[in-house]
Amino acid sequence: MTPLRLNTDVLLKEGYSEYDIDSDRDLELTFRGSGKCDVFVRITRADHIRIRTFTSENAEVSILFWNVSETPCEFDESHDVAENGKLTIAYGECNAAATKRRTYTSLRGRYASALVSSASLVSDRKNYSMNVVNFAPHTSGEIRNYAVVLKTGVLTIDAIGRIVKGAKRAESHQTSRALSFEEGQKSTILPELLIDENDVQASHAMSIGRMDEDQLYYMMSRGLTPQMCTTLISTGYLMPITEVIDNDELRETLRNEMERKIGELCSM
Amino acid sequence: MTKVKTLEIRNLHVSVEDKEILKGIDLTVNENEVHALMGPNGNGKSTLLAAIMGNPKYTVTEGTITYDGKDVLSMPVNERSVAGLFLAMQYPQEIPGVTNSDFLRAAMNVRSEQPVSLFRFIKAMESTINELQMKEDLAHRFLNEGFSGGEKKRNEIVQMKMLKPSLSMLDEIDSGLDVDAIRLVGDAINALREETGMSVIVVSHYERFLELIKPQFTHVLIDGRIAMSGGPELAEKIDSEGYDWIYKELDIRPAAQAESQQRRVTSIGTCAVRETVKAAGK
Repeated sequence: MTPLRLNTDVLLKEGYSEYDIDSDRDLELTFRGSGKCDVFVRITRADHIRIRTFTSENAEVSILFWNVSETPCEFDESHDVAENGKLTIAYGECNAAATKRRTYTSLRGRYASALVSSASLVSDRKNYSMNVVNFAPHTSGEIRNYAVVLKTGVLTIDAIGRIVKGAKRAESHQTSRALSFEEGQKSTILPELLIDENDVQASHAMSIGRMDEDQLYYMMSRGLTPQMCTTLISTGYLMPITEVIDNDELRETLRNEMERKIGELCSM
Repeated sequence: MTKVKTLEIRNLHVSVEDKEILKGIDLTVNENEVHALMGPNGNGKSTLLAAIMGNPKYTVTEGTITYDGKDVLSMPVNERSVAGLFLAMQYPQEIPGVTNSDFLRAAMNVRSEQPVSLFRFIKAMESTINELQMKEDLAHRFLNEGFSGGEKKRNEIVQMKMLKPSLSMLDEIDSGLDVDAIRLVGDAINALREETGMSVIVVSHYERFLELIKPQFTHVLIDGRIAMSGGPELAEKIDSEGYDWIYKELDIRPAAQAESQQRRVTSIGTCAVRETVKAAGK
């Protein structure tokens, strides 16, 4: 795992690569991808980080940011995708510390596409503002958030899809779902679609709710304790984020990490 | 030689949203016995099974349930399951994100000292899937998600076979199953009974299914009470003659009839209004 401790401009290599951010200072990081790149970034410790990514023409870049920091982090991000480029940005947030994230994704060239997704086990303050803007025709943007909100957690998501005038045949979609297990948790999700062009496709889906009582009863009727039900359901809810990176070994590691974390936090 | 496990229900009263459904049920089910619960719809059969399992929607207002000498009513649902009770539900829940195999392994692990080995689990799962002729990818599919009605019912039996309860309650497990599937399910239940001496309480409207699993006892639930009990001949008589003779003989009325009459009146009213509105619009 390559450490990132100083401001760095990273030229991503083809295939799989991994980085570790461990810094108590402000950082500025730039990632440039021009082929098919699968990138795993573990955030061990961070304060305020500015991240920029550039996905070149025809490139296919997937980056999974895995936040395990025990202290609060703040992220400012901008992501640019050129013609026919494909970007997947994913955030795994199962740590028990606050996160503030502003992310702005620009689909600059025709047929550019981006998926910005997050999976959060929320036991502290998690505050995301996510923008995906279609600047060119035939571009496609998607925001997808899944969160399990625990007793002490407060989740706020601002999800904004924007299609500018002239971006014909553009698509902007978003889904945000927050699940809680007890009363009194607080989640706010604001989905927005700002559309200045007629010939487009756009959609949003949103749900905030407690775990279904009938589901809980069904699972318990087979002997599972309420805590086991919570853990299984949460894992099922959040695990798909690990599929972003095409690497079975990593997926297995992250799955175990996530299950352990969920087990820990859900039993509190 | 294992101890005989008995389910004892005494003077059970159960309400749903302040409406009393069960009005004093007494029932004893010993090991190795098969009891059929019959009776018209809406008279308390499913409620009785749900109350035994501990569905939070049903409130026990009076009476006792013990199993194997233990007070069932003081146990949370999961402990009732570990104590050996199993309810094959009429409408099994869909749980997206949780695979059948993760779910079942967790359920098996809570009832054994050591975790079940992966190898043993996969072997057992494969043979059970074969036995019930489910699709091979069942283990990796999400629990009941996107399953057809018949698949859900067979998956209940897969779970029963894997968890090996000592008392199974089958709530219309045969509805939604075709003739071949009914036979498969019946055979699976009989095989498990032979293996473990499991007792069964079955709710079914179909003589064909009852013929397969051969209840020694029949109870007829009418308006929240067991109006009549008997042997297999009682189930046969009901199958050929219905319930009317019981109402006459005992001078009672089922709970659902009064209700459905009321409903019918409402629906005519609604239709009449709709017709009027339609006519006025022309």
